[in-house]
Formats: sequence, C-alpha cells, structure tokens
Amino acid sequence: MTEPTSSGPSALKGWLVFGAVLVAVLVIGLILATVLERRAEASKGQRTLQPIGAWESDSSKWGVNWPHQYASWKATSEKDTATKHGGSYQHDLLAIDTNNVILFAGYAFSKDYKQARGHFYAVQDVQETGRDISTKPGTCWTCKSPDVPRLMAQMGPAKFYDTPAKDLYNEIKTSIGCADCHNPDTMALTITRPALIEAFERQGKDITQSSHQEMRTLVCAQCHVEYYFKKDEAKGQKAYLTFPWDKGTGVEDMDAYYDEKQFTDWTHPISGAKMIKMQHPDYEVYTKGIHAYRNVSCADCHMPYKTEGGQKFTDHHVQSPLLNISNSCAVCHRWSEDDIRSRVESIQDKVHHGRLVAEEALCKAHFDIAACKQAGATDEELADVRKTVRKAQLRWDYVAANNGMGFHAPQECQRILADAADMAQQCRVACARILAKHSVTDPVVYPDWSTKEKAQDLIKHFGKDGTPPSLLQAH
Amino acid sequence: MLKYLLCLGFVPSAWKLPIMIALGTFAGLGILTIHVSRAPSYLSDSPETCMNCHVMTQAYVTWNHSSHRNVATCNDCHVPHDSVVRQYAFKAKDGMRHASMFTLRMEPQVIQLSSGAVPVVEQNCRRCHEQLVGEIHAREWTPGDNRCWDCHREVPHGRVSSLSTAFDINAPKLPGVLDDPHKMQTGGREPRPTKETKP
Repeated sequence: MTEPTSSGPSALKGWLVFGAVLVAVLVIGLILATVLERRAEASKGQRTLQPIGAWESDSSKWGVNWPHQYASWKATSEKDTATKHGGSYQHDLLAIDTNNVILFAGYAFSKDYKQARGHFYAVQDVQETGRDISTKPGTCWTCKSPDVPRLMAQMGPAKFYDTPAKDLYNEIKTSIGCADCHNPDTMALTITRPALIEAFERQGKDITQSSHQEMRTLVCAQCHVEYYFKKDEAKGQKAYLTFPWDKGTGVEDMDAYYDEKQFTDWTHPISGAKMIKMQHPDYEVYTKGIHAYRNVSCADCHMPYKTEGGQKFTDHHVQSPLLNISNSCAVCHRWSEDDIRSRVESIQDKVHHGRLVAEEALCKAHFDIAACKQAGATDEELADVRKTVRKAQLRWDYVAANNGMGFHAPQECQRILADAADMAQQCRVACARILAKHSVTDPVVYPDWSTKEKAQDLIKHFGKDGTPPSLLQAH
Repeated sequence: MLKYLLCLGFVPSAWKLPIMIALGTFAGLGILTIHVSRAPSYLSDSPETCMNCHVMTQAYVTWNHSSHRNVATCNDCHVPHDSVVRQYAFKAKDGMRHASMFTLRMEPQVIQLSSGAVPVVEQNCRRCHEQLVGEIHAREWTPGDNRCWDCHREVPHGRVSSLSTAFDINAPKLPGVLDDPHKMQTGGREPRPTKETKP
C-alpha cells in the first residue's frame, strides 16, 4: 500500500474540509454580525432617563442622562484658552492696560480686575476676587450658580437680593450649570432669573413668547448684560437687580435712563465726576451686529453643534469661537481656519485701536478736570465737564466691558468709541477754557501711570485725605 | 501542474487537514469582511456607497434634496472623468484617505474639499455645463481666479454645512447584513431616478 499522494478521494476530502470550514466561518460570522446589529438596534433610541429633581443644582446628576453635554460643560474648566484679545483664562486687566486703574480710580475695579474664567469657575472666581463681596448684597451671587433659582424659589427674589452676600456663602456651592438654563422635566430652555423677565415686561414684551432660536440667545442674556442694583425705598429694596433697558438697549438709551434715575455707581476721586460702571453688555452689543441681524444666536457660535460617533449634540464648552473656528465659524464661512482667524483679529485690532485712543483722552480729561480744581475752579464751573466725562466713559465702557473686543458689533463699537473720544476731547477743550479763565495757559502736567503699581499709588493721593501731585506747571 | 497545486502535492500529507482548515477560516473571514463592509459597493457609482460610514450623511442628504440629484451622483463631481485610469486611481487614493481618517476618528466636524479635490470638482462643473461656460467665454482657471462655487455657494450641499447639519434620520437606512445589498430604503422619499430615466 502506497501513500495516496495525489489521488482523487484524498484531494477532494481536503477541499471538502476547506469548503465546510469556509461556510462554517461565514455562517458564524454573519450570526455574530446580526447579533451586534440587532443589539445596536435595541439600544438605539431607548434610554431610560433618570428623573431630575426640581432645582437640582448638581450638574453631575443631569450628566447621567446627558453625558455628552455634561462632559463638554466640564471642559469650561480648561485654562489654556488665550486668544489674541481675550480668552477665559485669568489675566490681570489692570497690568495689561494701566489706563483701567485711572478710569476706575475710587472704585473696586481699580484694585483688582481680572478676566473671569469659564463657567466652571464662576463661584470660585467670586470667592477669590480682590473686589471683596463680603459687605455686598446677595445680588452679587445672582449669576453665579444654579443654587440661586432654588434659593429665589424659597425666599423670593427681593429677599434674596437683600440678604447679605456673606450669609449665602454656605448655600451657594455649585457653579453655573444645567439648571441655570434648562427645565429639568423637558430639558427645554428656560429663563430662571427674574431680572430679564422683568426687563422684558417693562418694555411691554412677553419673554415666554420667544422662539427656540431666540431662547438660545436669551438664556445667555440672563447674565451677559448691563445691570445695576436698584434702590427703592418705597418697596424697602436696597439692591434689586435691574437691567436699564426701559428706553432701549443702545448706549444712548442707557445713558438717558441713568440720567433720568440720577443713578451713580461711584464718584471719581480725580475728576469728582459721578460715574457709571458698565458691566458686560454682551447681549446688548450683539443685538446691534450683523450676526444678530441674520438671526444667529449666541449658542450658534459659542456652543456650536458637534457630532461624536454619529451623535449630534450641542457643545456646552462655552468659549471664544476663535478656539473652535471650524465648528463655529466655518459652518457658514467656508474658508480655512487661518483665513477666518486673521479676518476676526483684524476687526478686533481696529476696535482695540479705537478703544486705546478713547482711553487716553478719557484719562487726560479726568486729570484736566483735577487741574481746573487745583487752579481754583468751583464745583459749579466744573459741573458740565464732569457730566461730559461721565457720558464719555460710559460709552467707552459699553465697548470695553463687552467681551469679544467689539466683534459682536464692530461698526457700532467704532461709532461709540468715536463718540467717547470726541466727548472726552470736548471735555478737555472746555477744561482749557476754564484754566485760561483762572490764568493758567500752560499745558497740564500729567503724572506717570505707566505701570499698575505707579497707577495704583497715584490714585491713592486723589482720595479724600490724600494730597494729589500738582498738575499745574510751577512758575 | 494544476492538479499538483489543487491536491497540495507540495505539502506533507499529515499537514493537509490543518492547512485546509486554516485556509477555509481565512477565506471565510475574508468573504465575511468584504460582505459586512459592503466592499463591492465601492466599485459602483451608487451615491449610497459614500454613506457606508455616517460621516458623509449630511453630504448625501443635502445632495438628495438638491436639483443635482436628478443628473449627477457623487462620482460625477468628485472623481476625475478624463481617463478611466485616473478615475479609479483617484477613487482609490481618496477612498484610502477617507477610510483611514474614519477609522482613526480624525474626521473634522466641517469637511471641506481637499486641495487635490478642488480642480477635479471645477473640471466636472465645466464638463457638464460646457455650453454655458462656452457662452460666457470662461477661460481656463488660473491661480487667483474664483471657483464656480465661490458664487454658486449653495450648489448642491447648501450654505450651512457641518457633520451636524443633517439628522441621520433624513438619510436612507443601510441594508442589514442579511438584507439584499441593493435594497436601500429611501428615507421616505421617492426613489432616485435611475440613469436610464434621466431627463
């Protein structure tokens, strides 16, 4: 018997084995593929949502149901977010631009003025700021935490505002999160802060009639707006959070509003002018720009849609669109990231230039008024120039305090900065006339405020008990 | 000779069974992979092929709602048509790039034409719209010139475009592994006209 080397039956047997194995692998593989397919089918669109309690301020509880959104919200803790003119990382605005020290002299912003960080740090930033809030009303907490709507529901907004901020320290634990903008049952966007609802009511508008696209802006407008603490003795309110929009959201409208209310944030120690501090009128400025005109919401650029593994969701990492150009800008503006960045930065550079021009004129205007006083001018003589410098600085601050270096409405910001610079220079012309009346024809001698330390030291001398340096040339 | 190969004459007989089992396994897995990944579809012109991975869903959906859906498929615009060799070479190169990016999860949220794809698409605009281009005496494209879509911005994928623009629900569903691979659900729309019924 010889080995069957190439005989028929054995070769056939071999190929039969081959064929049988091939079919078996194919069948097992197809079964496996359908099992996976059916399993994916079953899990798709079927998710058990954990109930979220009313006023649940802990965002991680919401995160159980909405992991993508929660993870992206957590990314607001990132700190390496510098852009050319901003970014949500802590930087000292007094050291970067020492004019701020002069312009906010006598106000807490001249002591400490840092760029706020992301939503994740809202509470921590308030606890750490040099603008001590321990003596301030509870109103200061209004925008910082989803614990606020809960407390307001318990005690009512008026009582919340009147409670001293330090008494609320233990109640306010979580930073800006889900419950600030979302209804826990339906996840629909909702307005949780009464000040915005009331501002709409006073303008005869019903905020509940807003469309979803409008709400994608209005939830931000609960906080990113100009506001003041209204005193109403008849109602016994000391610091009721109010938006000055009764005449409109333009800078002239707010100026007229504050004049009518005779409201003043602080008296400037250098010029003696009664000043207004603009907060961050992001929403108001945005409404004057091309993106608002085209119905593009805050969320469209700052929280663009994103897909991960075929799942579409809103990116809750609220940040400068310049840190996320392709997702936010390039969806409509189909250029390269570099093209878009250089275009935006060139617009911001121009606004920045206008801002510095206005600042320089404003600082000098404050010193010119102080020089008039030193030359013997009376408060009566200085009443008009003080009013002008208040109006000029309010306009400059409407642009300067606004995030985005004017990008929210570039033309409007340039117009306002032009007005601010013009008013400040008019103020200086009037001061020159007043000085001449008091026999001073030499130029005013300006002190040095080129560093933060020099500037902070300088403004101390203009206080009630200080002895300011002479601004008049010695003869 | 053929018989020698078929009967594995070069293999010691004790190894024949294990080798046949191994060969069968590899062949089975190979066929399975080709089937599950819908590999044969890549040789076709069917636009549904481009949606095998969900990244192209929005491109498909926007095209499927545009006037171009009646006259041009993905390949008509996105691969060159001047020679069959170039056509398949380009398709293979682009395909490998897409497959690698998708597998490594490196796809950008906003997909734009690559520098290699730009002249191809421009050529194809001109190829079909030859008469119009001739009438306006459009010259050959030279650096600094605009592309067709610098003005015709909405053709055919719309003005606003990112991976999130279209919901997956608007796209036809890919057939399951046991379904007829040619059967494509149309996502509620009438079936696309076939080449023969083109106007």
